[in-house]
Amino acid sequence: MKSAKWENIFKGWDHSESKTVVTLKQVPVFKNFSNKEFLELEKLIHHRQYNIGDFIFKNRAPGEGMYIIMQGSVKITIGTRNNNENILAELEEGDFFGELALFDDEARSANAIATNDSQLLGFFTQDLMSLQGRNPVLGQKILFNLGGVLGERLRGTNRLLINSQSSTKE
Amino acid sequence: MNNKQTNYLQLIYRLAIGLITLWFLSIIWPYISNVILMLVFAFLFTTVLLSSVDALERKISHRGLSVLTVVIILIGGIGIFIGSFISQISQQAAEFSNRIDKDTLTSEFKIIGENLTESMPSFLQNIISSNEDMAGKLSELINTVIGSLASMASAVGNFMFIATMVFIFTIILLAEYHVFRKSLVNIIPNKYFELGIKLIYNIEKSVSSYLRGQFLSAASVAAMSVAGLLLLNIFGANLTLTFFIGIIAGLANLIPLVGPFVGMVPAILIAFMNNLGNDIALTHTLFGVIPSPFFILDIILMFLIVQQIEGNLITPTLVGKSVGLHPIIVMIALLIGGTILGPLGMLFAVPAAGVLKVILSEIAFVRKNAHLL
Repeated sequence: MKSAKWENIFKGWDHSESKTVVTLKQVPVFKNFSNKEFLELEKLIHHRQYNIGDFIFKNRAPGEGMYIIMQGSVKITIGTRNNNENILAELEEGDFFGELALFDDEARSANAIATNDSQLLGFFTQDLMSLQGRNPVLGQKILFNLGGVLGERLRGTNRLLINSQSSTKE
Repeated sequence: MNNKQTNYLQLIYRLAIGLITLWFLSIIWPYISNVILMLVFAFLFTTVLLSSVDALERKISHRGLSVLTVVIILIGGIGIFIGSFISQISQQAAEFSNRIDKDTLTSEFKIIGENLTESMPSFLQNIISSNEDMAGKLSELINTVIGSLASMASAVGNFMFIATMVFIFTIILLAEYHVFRKSLVNIIPNKYFELGIKLIYNIEKSVSSYLRGQFLSAASVAAMSVAGLLLLNIFGANLTLTFFIGIIAGLANLIPLVGPFVGMVPAILIAFMNNLGNDIALTHTLFGVIPSPFFILDIILMFLIVQQIEGNLITPTLVGKSVGLHPIIVMIALLIGGTILGPLGMLFAVPAAGVLKVILSEIAFVRKNAHLL
């Protein structure tokens, strides 16, 4: 029989990672984390279950944080009705979305809908704030990585803008 | 038609379930009310201490150790306070009983009675039949106070048990607070999930800032009361235990409107005990005009000034902002809390009203944006 006490004592020795940690390791926001830091992070992560067709969030709803797909798939869309739905992205396991909400109080800028029965990991502003208060080094790492991700996105957008400008000139 | 019928059945079913739950709660309530009270207190302490535990965790990066340190410091502080308070009180009582025997006490009361009757308008003198009566009533009052002290001792045992349980709950809640909140968040249905997280956060913020404001205003009242009592001592009021009287006044001040008057009582008692048999104190006059035996009027005036400073300068800047309730709402909440739970209800009425306000404003926000869900 496994007792909780023994499990706790040998917690540090257990090198097999939970599925949550494996998923988190694929996310660039948590780049360069030590194993101990991943365990710390795992305590903050929320597990959410969505059925196919469920809204994860809706356009213009107040946003609270980012989601990471542990299992299943999600589409990001604009437009409420199915017939004029404009799919912006289709995301698979290990992808993440909604990270902009970690920084601002602005409403969501698109819908997120589960296209399969999905298991998502949620990481929210309040958790980041409380982590920043208790473990600033870890919080700083996350913020720095988030900055990197956003910078990458901005560079991509710039490239698209330059391409479209040069194509209209030609 | 069929659909409507199932709706009816569903409604009846839900109503029955609700009624059974209520009935069940009413049966077990006497057994669980104490536990719920303990949990509420533990939660309040947790909210107050959480920021200091988090701050310490940042320094030593170990949650358990920081919880232990904060709790030990708190318990040590309370222990030192109560211990020295009891020893000083008993010293005071011993000195008092050595100095004054029963006959002097009665004769002293007689003098006070005479003085009081003399200074009263004539129509009041007619109401109070004789001076002897006055002295008798006063010593009767003292006897009742001593009698109720004895019954208080038995309540101390019960209190110690509750305090220990609250202490244990607080430690667990502090250590596991973030895990606890996470599991609370996990039961929110998907549709209201992000909103629920925001709501929990807002409630947390409002309650903790309110409580911190309350403790700051209590501390300011305590400090000002000590300063005021020391000032009175310069004028010969001969007050002892000033530090403790100040802290008691500060704590009593946590109950709005009623508490401040409770805070005056120990100061007046001490002034009375220390100056019994002292003719200068007996004939003391406030501003050389108004007769104020045993500096009683001076003490009341001092506490009134402290309360005015606290009520008009300190609380509006610390507490008023954090909950942001209209004074009328505060009064109504106090009345309701006082009616339901007595002094304890008054203590919790205003934070509860604050929590309700946050929830209502969030619900109003949801209703306004209902098309988004």
